[in-house]
Amino acid sequence: MNSKNKFYFAISGVIVVVIFWIWWASSNPADEQALVTFLSVEELIDEDHSDRVRLGGLVAEGSIHLDNNNYLSCQFELKEGDYILPVHYTGARPDLFKDGAEVIIEGIYVNGLFEADILQTKCASRYEGDLRDENSYNLDEVSI
Amino acid sequence: MTPVIGGLAINLALGLAFVSIILHFFYLRNGDGRLFLSGQRAALAVSLLSILATLILAQLLITSNFDVDYVAHYTSLETPFIYKITALWAGQSGSLLFWLFTLSVYAVITILQNQRSQHKIMPWVMIVMTTVQLFFLILINYVSNPFIPTEADFVVANGLGLNPLLQNITMAFHPPMLYLGYVGFTIPFSFSIAAMAERDMNALWMRTVRQWLLFVWLMLSIGIILGGWWAYQELGWGGYWAWDPVENASFMPWLTGTALLHSIIIQEKKDMLKVWNMALIIITFTLCIFGTFLTRSGVMSSVHSFTASSLGPIFLGFVFLILVVSFLLLFNRKSFLQSEKRIESFTSRESGFLFNNVVFIVMCFAVFWGTIFPVISEAVRGTKITVGAPFFNQVNIPIGLVLLLLTGVGPLLVWRRTSNQSFIRNFTTPIVMGLVSALVLYIFNIRGYVLISFSLSAFVLTTIGFEFFRGIRSRMTSQKENPIIAFWRLIRKNRSRYGGYIVHIGIVLMFVGFTGHSFDSEKEFGLKKGDSEHLSGYSFTLYNVREEERPNHYAYIADMIVADAFGKSIVKLHPEKRIYFHRNPNPERRQPHSELDIYSTIKQDIYSIFNSIDLENEVAYLKIMINPLVNWVWYGGYLFVLGTLVALWPPRKEKS
Repeated sequence: MNSKNKFYFAISGVIVVVIFWIWWASSNPADEQALVTFLSVEELIDEDHSDRVRLGGLVAEGSIHLDNNNYLSCQFELKEGDYILPVHYTGARPDLFKDGAEVIIEGIYVNGLFEADILQTKCASRYEGDLRDENSYNLDEVSI
Repeated sequence: MTPVIGGLAINLALGLAFVSIILHFFYLRNGDGRLFLSGQRAALAVSLLSILATLILAQLLITSNFDVDYVAHYTSLETPFIYKITALWAGQSGSLLFWLFTLSVYAVITILQNQRSQHKIMPWVMIVMTTVQLFFLILINYVSNPFIPTEADFVVANGLGLNPLLQNITMAFHPPMLYLGYVGFTIPFSFSIAAMAERDMNALWMRTVRQWLLFVWLMLSIGIILGGWWAYQELGWGGYWAWDPVENASFMPWLTGTALLHSIIIQEKKDMLKVWNMALIIITFTLCIFGTFLTRSGVMSSVHSFTASSLGPIFLGFVFLILVVSFLLLFNRKSFLQSEKRIESFTSRESGFLFNNVVFIVMCFAVFWGTIFPVISEAVRGTKITVGAPFFNQVNIPIGLVLLLLTGVGPLLVWRRTSNQSFIRNFTTPIVMGLVSALVLYIFNIRGYVLISFSLSAFVLTTIGFEFFRGIRSRMTSQKENPIIAFWRLIRKNRSRYGGYIVHIGIVLMFVGFTGHSFDSEKEFGLKKGDSEHLSGYSFTLYNVREEERPNHYAYIADMIVADAFGKSIVKLHPEKRIYFHRNPNPERRQPHSELDIYSTIKQDIYSIFNSIDLENEVAYLKIMINPLVNWVWYGGYLFVLGTLVALWPPRKEKS
């Protein structure tokens, strides 16, 4: 084999190895958080999912209950369409977590309770919504 | 009145962009010099009008003209002055205008610099640049116009205000730098298309393209590093890189651009690889547009993206158009670009560069794959999959380590063919150094990627050190110079080579910093005044919680003393829990925000976050992270910038 062919052979070899590597990593994730399926609450409840999944929805009004003993632990209900799912979450809650907030959670569904270990809030509507009405802001209070 | 002028300016610019492109085409057909001049002037006018429109938007933001929807949405009266300016790129339409602004500044420089000297290819250069401007002008005029008036049937007394996350001083630098990089790739791209169209690729072309490439690549690099720095300071999850789609969007053109910076050296020195380089330029530019699409269309949800909009299909159409037209042209000009020369040996610097290119490209592909996998998976299988950071780490760490290895091997290879003797001579000491460090690390019970990364770092640093040592020694003997002068002149005589080595040292330091990540530790806890907690041999005592009202927020401040294992206090940390828009009577509109505090040393960062406060029970909930070696990433970044500047600095003009 002359050196030119040897060279192209080596380059092709590298490419084949790496593509195989990417394919292998996609089907054998090293970490349970590497590739997570995003489901709707309806799919989660109807179908049987024991693996780690990600869900999105709204925090049902008045459903947040903080644990009295452990401040980092809380329960709330996730609402998506007509479906409601009880969720238990342990960890620091994001700044914008409150009733009606749009959240994304990740965890495992066990016996009717969703054990979440990731809780993210979507950006506040304040930057995307309409301008507030003229009475909602009292200009005299504003210090500039 | 001013918003109307802004709207008119972008209208007029749109029309003139058409005119300029048509004039240039007519010139190319009949060669009338007046058409060329008018075309160039029209192009200049497009840019100046776009710049004017941007300045008008800036003025509207500064003067808080809430009649303009964009101003009312992204600023308020309380917004500090500097953030009124940065609001220019805080929203979708503003950031598109800022894209256009950056491109227009580049276009003005390009025209002034090259109108005469590169007369032959300038029509094409400007056709390409103006077409890109035209695309953004269409978006700004018809899809996302920053000058539309506020839709309210009352006088808007105050705006909504800027997202507190964006009220960080990095926001004044990170986006503009990133834009200078992203947008800047339009210049080498335009010159490449022009050179192919005119079948003219001379030495001046080479110099122009290489200098611009280096400059825009530097801007992109600084933008990316600053983005990481901002995330680390502001987002409060203790890291600087999350493989977020938008981070990936900036990383992909960086990877192909870095590959290009290496392979273009072969074109410059050996007149080889021209087809490959043209393809790389096209891909890099396309990735820049694709990146803007990812960031601005809302197809991926992330910290950066705005609400879903109709931008998506238009952007994808443009990306498709660029790819098709450019690659058709490249295919058509294949015979013009092909070189007689071939790579002679496996162990030559040429082949080292090519391997480096292949690895950069496959890494880019890996990132691309992970980024668009959710979209593909949803389209093909109907299931949404989210790809998390662990996936990207798993795939990219080995590839990154191969790149690190090549950083060390490449410079020791000789052009054309490395003889066995020089191979042994050059590689013995570095390999020994690498193996010794591996052994030492093994004894200290360090294994796996960490061991590989640290020993490779030792290997690469030794090779670079050797390069400097050899160069200095030969100057000392041949020129009779003392070491310091020899060092200085060595760099000055061959800026791009030694600048490149300095960049490589920076990269090694960054790898050391990245590797430190595997020793991270963290703890979350609640503390009452006077209580303590422990983590990694340190104790954290909360001695006070203060409250303070500031112009644009209300702050709760946790005062903590950090002490080491012997009880000696090291530092006081003051993370804050802030409430932005606290004077808003509607509690829904108030927004909490955690401002963290970091104690940073060369060994590690102590990173503190004030998660929340329980006012009733007087408990502050805090999170502490110990992140080893993070500073090395930023030190590496400084060296990286310094090295690129060395390479970029124009050589002193030869006295003739």
